[in-house]
Amino acid sequence: MVQLTLPKNSVIGKGKTWPKPDGAKKTKAFRVYRYSPEQGSNPRWDTYHVDTSKCGPMVLDVLLYIKNKIDPTLAFRRSCREGVCGSCAMNIGGHNSIACTKGWDEVAGRTITIAPLPSLPVVRDLIPDLTNFYAQHAYVQPFLKTDTPAPEREWKQTPEDREQLDGLYECILCACCSTSCPSYWWNGDKYLGPAALLQAYRWLIDSRDEATGERLDDLEDPFKLYRCHTIMNCAQVCPKGLNPAKAIANVKHMMVERVV
Amino acid sequence: MAGSRAKDTRPLSPHLQIWDWHATMYASIFHRLTGVGLYGGAFLIGAWLVALAMGPEAYHVIELIAFSLPGQLLLFAWTMAVLFHLANGLRHLIWDGPGVGFSPKVASLWSLFNMAFAIVGAAIIWSLASFY
Repeated sequence: MVQLTLPKNSVIGKGKTWPKPDGAKKTKAFRVYRYSPEQGSNPRWDTYHVDTSKCGPMVLDVLLYIKNKIDPTLAFRRSCREGVCGSCAMNIGGHNSIACTKGWDEVAGRTITIAPLPSLPVVRDLIPDLTNFYAQHAYVQPFLKTDTPAPEREWKQTPEDREQLDGLYECILCACCSTSCPSYWWNGDKYLGPAALLQAYRWLIDSRDEATGERLDDLEDPFKLYRCHTIMNCAQVCPKGLNPAKAIANVKHMMVERVV
Repeated sequence: MAGSRAKDTRPLSPHLQIWDWHATMYASIFHRLTGVGLYGGAFLIGAWLVALAMGPEAYHVIELIAFSLPGQLLLFAWTMAVLFHLANGLRHLIWDGPGVGFSPKVASLWSLFNMAFAIVGAAIIWSLASFY
C-alpha cells in the first residue's frame, strides 16, 4: 500500500550534534540516522563533524572515523571494504549506494545525510532487516536447474552464451536497487523487486538452464514482475552499474514471446 | 516489510523523506498524474459536447468558464498534460518494444526532454492559437 508518510514510531526526531574534533582545520558535517531498540524512543538524526585531513576518501572511512573517534555506539554493517560483499549498502545523500566505494566528496551538499536502506524495518542505526529481500532471492531459485543427466565434466556453454550473463552475474545482492524502488516501498511484500528479478533473468537466459518455463510461471501474477513501472531508480543507483530495469523488461518480453 | 508490519515495533526506515529524486522518477509520477488528470478531463470534454448540443445559452456558460483565468490556466495545464503523456507514452512503447533507452543517462535525458516538450509544445500551441 502506498504510504507517503512514516508511521508514528518511525518519525525521526532531532538528535545530538556532536562537538567538532579538537584542532581540526577543515571539517565536514554528516547527519546520521540513529535508532536503538533499547531506548524505546523514536529514531533521531545525530550530526557528526569529521576532520577531513584525518579521514579516508570513502563514506565507509567516515563511518569508521565516527565509530573509532567520536561515538563507538554507531552500528553499521561492513565487511570487504572494496565493493564485493554489499554489506555496507545504505542511503547516502538521498541515493542508495555502498559506503565503501562511494567517495564522500562525490556527494553534494554541505551536510551529507546517511540513513539505512529505505522502507525497511530498522534493527539498529544503519542496519535494516533484509529477511524479506533474501526470501525473494530464494524464491527465484538462483541455481542451475536441469532435467538431462549431468555430464561427466562441466555443463558447457559457448562464449556467446556466456556473454549473455554479463551485466547480470556481477550483482552482489546489496539491496540498493530494490530498496530504491517506490513500487517496492509500497508493495515489497508482493512485488519481488529489481534485485530478485535481475537474478531471475540471469537464470532465465542461461543457456544451460532447462527450467525456463517453470521460472516464468513463478513470475506470472499481477505483482511479482509487473509492478515494475520503469521508474528507473534501480538502474540509477546500482553501485555495480547494472541495469535491473532492462533485465525486467527482458523478462516481460519472454513472458509475451511464449504466448504469441 | 518482514512479517506483519502491524506487530512489528521496529521503525520503518525513511524513504520519500530522504530520497533525492531522479529525472526518471519525476517523469514516472508525472505520467501517472497526467494519466489520471486526462481521464478526468474526458468528462469535461463530455460536458462541453453536451453544452454544444443543448444550444447557445448552455454553450455560453462553458465559454465563460473556459475564457476565465482559472479556465485558461486549466486549459494550458491540460495541453501540457496531453503533450507530456503523449511523449512519455511513446517512450513506454519504445521501452516495451525495441527495449532501448534503459541506460540511466539516456533515460534521465529523455525524461527531461519529455518535460521540455510538454512545456515548449504547449507554449507554441498557445501562441499560435492566440494569433487567431
